[in-house]
Amino acid sequence: MINSNAISKFFLNKLACYTLIIILFLPAWAQAYTGVTIVLSAPTTTNLEFVENFKMELIATKNHNLKVKVIDLQETEKLVVAENSELVIALGVKALTAASKLKHTTPVLGVFTPMPAFNSLLEKSKRDLDIFSAIVLDQPYWRQISLVRAILPGAKKVGILLGSTSSQNSEFLIEEGEKGGLSVEIENVNQESELIPKLKKSLENNDLLLAIPDPAVYNRETAQPILLTSYRYLKPVFGYSQSYVRAGALAAVYSNTKDLAKQAAEIAIKTQLAPGLLPPPQAPKYFSVQVNHQVARSLNIPIMEDDEIYKRLLQFEMMQHVEAR
Amino acid sequence: MTQTALDITKQVNAMKKRILLLIVLFAIHPQFALAEDDSVSQVSEDDYIGDVPRVLTVSRLSQPLSDAPSAVTVIDRETIRASGIVDLPEIFRLVPGFYVGVNAGYFHSTNHAVSYHGMTSAYSGAMQVLVNGRSVYSPLYGGVQWSELPLAIVDIERIEVTRGPNAASYGANSYFGVINIITQHPSEAKGNTVVATHGDGRNEAFYRHAGKVQDLTYRFTTGYREDDGLDHRNDFKRTRMLNAQADYQIDISNNLEFEFGLTDGARGEGNINEDAVVFLPRTKQIDNHYELARWRHNISDTSDFSLQAYHSFDRSDDKTTSVNLRPIADALLGAGAGAFLLNDTITIKNPVETERYDLEAQHNFAIGNAIRMVWGGSIRRDSMYAPHYLGTKRTDYFDLQRLFGHVEWRTYEKLVLNAGAMMEHNDFTGTDISPRASINFKPSPSHAFRLGISTALRTPNYLEEKFNRSIAIPTTLPGPNNTLLLQLYADKGNVDPEQIISREIGYLGNFGNLSLDTRLFHDTITDHIRLRDRTDFVTPPGFTLITGVDINSGTNEGSANVDGFEAQAKWQLASKTNLLFNYAYVHIRETQEELKRNYIDSMPRSTVSALLTHRFDSNWDASFAYYQTSETTQLGDGDPVDLIRKCDIRLARKFNSGRWNGEVSGVIENLFNDHYQEFADYNTLDRRARINLRLDF
Repeated sequence: MINSNAISKFFLNKLACYTLIIILFLPAWAQAYTGVTIVLSAPTTTNLEFVENFKMELIATKNHNLKVKVIDLQETEKLVVAENSELVIALGVKALTAASKLKHTTPVLGVFTPMPAFNSLLEKSKRDLDIFSAIVLDQPYWRQISLVRAILPGAKKVGILLGSTSSQNSEFLIEEGEKGGLSVEIENVNQESELIPKLKKSLENNDLLLAIPDPAVYNRETAQPILLTSYRYLKPVFGYSQSYVRAGALAAVYSNTKDLAKQAAEIAIKTQLAPGLLPPPQAPKYFSVQVNHQVARSLNIPIMEDDEIYKRLLQFEMMQHVEAR
Repeated sequence: MTQTALDITKQVNAMKKRILLLIVLFAIHPQFALAEDDSVSQVSEDDYIGDVPRVLTVSRLSQPLSDAPSAVTVIDRETIRASGIVDLPEIFRLVPGFYVGVNAGYFHSTNHAVSYHGMTSAYSGAMQVLVNGRSVYSPLYGGVQWSELPLAIVDIERIEVTRGPNAASYGANSYFGVINIITQHPSEAKGNTVVATHGDGRNEAFYRHAGKVQDLTYRFTTGYREDDGLDHRNDFKRTRMLNAQADYQIDISNNLEFEFGLTDGARGEGNINEDAVVFLPRTKQIDNHYELARWRHNISDTSDFSLQAYHSFDRSDDKTTSVNLRPIADALLGAGAGAFLLNDTITIKNPVETERYDLEAQHNFAIGNAIRMVWGGSIRRDSMYAPHYLGTKRTDYFDLQRLFGHVEWRTYEKLVLNAGAMMEHNDFTGTDISPRASINFKPSPSHAFRLGISTALRTPNYLEEKFNRSIAIPTTLPGPNNTLLLQLYADKGNVDPEQIISREIGYLGNFGNLSLDTRLFHDTITDHIRLRDRTDFVTPPGFTLITGVDINSGTNEGSANVDGFEAQAKWQLASKTNLLFNYAYVHIRETQEELKRNYIDSMPRSTVSALLTHRFDSNWDASFAYYQTSETTQLGDGDPVDLIRKCDIRLARKFNSGRWNGEVSGVIENLFNDHYQEFADYNTLDRRARINLRLDF
C-alpha cells in the first residue's frame, strides 16, 4: 500500500524543485495573455454553456481585460491562435488533440477531458505539464466515496467494476474506500461477456455499485443491463454523471459546465501573468450532486435534501483535509 | 436538483492536497501515463457525460413493499433455482396463503390447481395471472393452463404475487390475488444456455440464445417437455415451446419491445375409472401462440407513457368416441332398448378456440417527490369458439373496456397514502367500479404498518354465463322427440359479478437479519357464483331429456367471510445460510346457508412452507424445502384429502471452465416417499428424483 502522505510530501518537494528548474531554465518568459481562445470539439449545448459561463465568470471577477475568442472545430479545420499570447482552452478530446499540435510554447488547458485521454495526449504530444494541463472529467475517488457515505451511512461494502482502462486504479480505490470506512471489492471485467456475471457477483456481495468511468464497462449499450440488474438486486448504483442518474443511478457527484467554467476562469486569471506555469492537471474543484429521488423511493432509501447532501460532502472534504494534515 | 459549489478558501486548500494525489497518480504510476494504446486514446468526453438511455423510468420503478397498498410476495430467480421446481405453479407453494394441488383431473383440468384462500375449483378462476403485463387467464373457465404457457422457467426474472384483491391496478378477476410473472430483459442474459432435466416421469430440454444487433437486444428460447404425469392416470403432456423477446432502443427516451410465443403438443385426457363409456382415455392436441408489442416513451425524468398491444390465440382439439352404447342401453332400460339407438357409438368433437386482442395505454408520473400517479385505459375483445361447450357453432365475443387510476401520496416520510380505482364495462355484467385505499405508517425505516381496504369483482366466465353443453343420442324411436338429450350445462345467463371486500392490517419489520411480513385479513364475499342444478330447463323440440343428471347453471348464491393470518419471514441465519418461512391460517365461514358443501374446507386451514438454503463454497450449494397443508376438500373435482407433509432436497454444483459455465443439480421431491393424495383421491404422489444440467456458453 502506498503511503500517500509521504508521497505527497515527497512530491511537494519535488514539485517545488521542478518549479525552480523550470524557472531557471526557461529560455524566455512568454508574454502575458491578452486573451483566451476556447476551442470547441463541436458546438454542443454543453460546450456553448461552458463558453457562456466562462465569460460570465470573467465579468463577475472583473477580469474584463481577457478577451475570449471561440473556435469551432466543426467549422474550421485549422486552428488560428496567437500562440504566444493566448491561453487555449480546449473543450473535449477532439479539441485537445488539435490544440496539442500547436506550438510547444502555447499554454493549453483541456476541459471535458477524461484522464486517460489526457494522459494519452500528453504522451503523444511530448509536452510539458506546465504548459499542457487539464481539468479532467474524473471526479476524485474520495469524493465519490464521500457521496456513498453521505447517502448510505449504513453501507459497508462497495462493489466496483473496472475495465481495461480503469483497472490500474484498483489499489487506489481500495485505499480511498478504507479511508472512508468502506471495504471496496473490485471485479475486473476483461471482456464484454464477463460484465453481467461479474456484476451479479458484485451485487450479491456488496451493498451498492460504485461506477468508475470506463468505456469498456459503462457505455450507452451497457446502461440498460447494468441498471436493470442492479435494480433487480435492489442495490443502488452510484454514477459519475448527470445522465447516468437520470437513466436510473441513485446519485452522482459531477461537475457541470458552471463548475468547470469557474475553475477554468480561475486558472486563466491566475496564470495570466505567467503563462508558462499552468497548474498541474487537476480534478474538478467545484462539483454538484444529483440524486434520483424516484429511484431512492423505490429502493426505500431515505434521502435528505440535495443541499444537505452537498453540505455533508463539503464537511467530509474539510475533515479529510484536516486529517491529511 | 443541483447544487453549485461555494467558493470556500479552506476547500481550495483541501483541493491542493487532492491535486497532489492526482499528480501522484500521474507521476508515480508510470503505467498510468504510459498505458497508452488505442482504447485509451479513444476514451472521449462522451463516455463520461454523454447521454444514456433512460432505464429505470417511473413506470419501471415499483413501490417498496413498505409503501405498497397490499401484501406482495416477490419470488426471485434465486428462490426459483433453489426450490428445484420444474413446473411453474409449484413455486406458489412458497407464497403464504396459496394452495397448490397437482391434479390429473377431467376436462381442461389436467392442470395444477392454484388458488389463494381456496373457494375455487380445479380451474382456479379467482386470480389474475399476467406474464409481462399480458393477461393469461382463460375467459372459458377463468383459470390458467400452466403447462401451456410459452414460458421457460430459465427466463423468469421474478414473480410478484399480490396477496389480496387488486382490481384497482389489474381489473376485475384480480379477485383473491394477482400473479405477475416478469421475464428477464433480453439484455440481462447474453450468449447461449442449455438446460436439460431428466428424472422420474420427466424429460425436458431448453436452448436459449440472447444477443444484440446494434440497438436491438433479443432473446429466444425453445424447448421440449415430456411429462408422464401421475401413476395410473392418463395425464401425460408433451409440449414444444418457443418464446422470443426483443427490445429496440429507438433513442434515449423511446423503445419498442416485442414478444412472441408458441406452444403446441399433446395432452392425455380422460381416465377409465371416471368414465368408461363416453369420454374415454384419449389424446388432445393444443396449439397456442401470442404476439405482443409495447412502446415505452419517457416523457421526462418523472413521466412515462406506454402503449401495449397483444394478441393471443389458444386452440385445443379434443375428440372422443364412446364405446358401443347398445349393451349399456339394454342393461339400463331393459333388453332390446339398445336396438333403438341409431348408431352403436356417439362421437363428440370438442374443438375450442379462444382469441384475445388487447390494447392498453398507461401514463405514469410523479408530482414532486411526494406524489406518484398512474392512470390509463384499455380495450379488450375475447372471442370464443367452443361448439360443444356453448351449444352453438357461432363464435361468441366478449368486450371489455377499462379506465384506471392510482395515486400514491407520501404525505411525509412516515406516512404513505394509496388510493385507486378501476372502472370497467363488459358484455356480461355491465359497468362497475372497484376502488381501494390504504394507509402505510412507518414509525421508523425498519417498521411499517398498513391499514387497507380493497374491493374487487369477479366477472362470471363462460362456464358460468354461457355454457350450454349437452350430448345428443339419436334413436330410431317413433315420434318427433326421438333424440335423447343428456344436458350437462345450461347457463341461464345474467349472472352478477361476485364481489369481495377485503380489509387488512399488515406489518412489515426488519430485525437485523430477519425480515417479517405479516397480515391479518377479513374478507367479505357476496354474490358468490356457483353452479346449481337447474330445475326449469325446457327441453328443446326434437329431444327427450335424460333425467336424473344435474343440469348445471351459474348462479349467484351465498356469501362468506374469510378471516385469517399470514406471515412470511426471510431470515439470514448465517452469511451463507438463508431461511424463507411462510405460514397462513385461513378460515372460511359461510354467512348464508346456500354456501354449503365444501366451501369451508376449500382451503386448508393452515399451510406452512419453508425453504432453507446453504452455500458451502463458491461451487456447492444445497437447499431443503418443506411444505405442509392441512386436510382440505377442494371444490369441483376435489375430494377430501388428508394433511400433507412433503420434503424436497436439492444439491447443486456450479462449474466454471472459462468458456463453459454451468451447474449440475439433483433434486429429490417427496424425500420420505409419503404416498399422499393432493386435490383429489386419484392424484397419488410418490418420491421422484431428477437431475438437471445447465450450461452457459
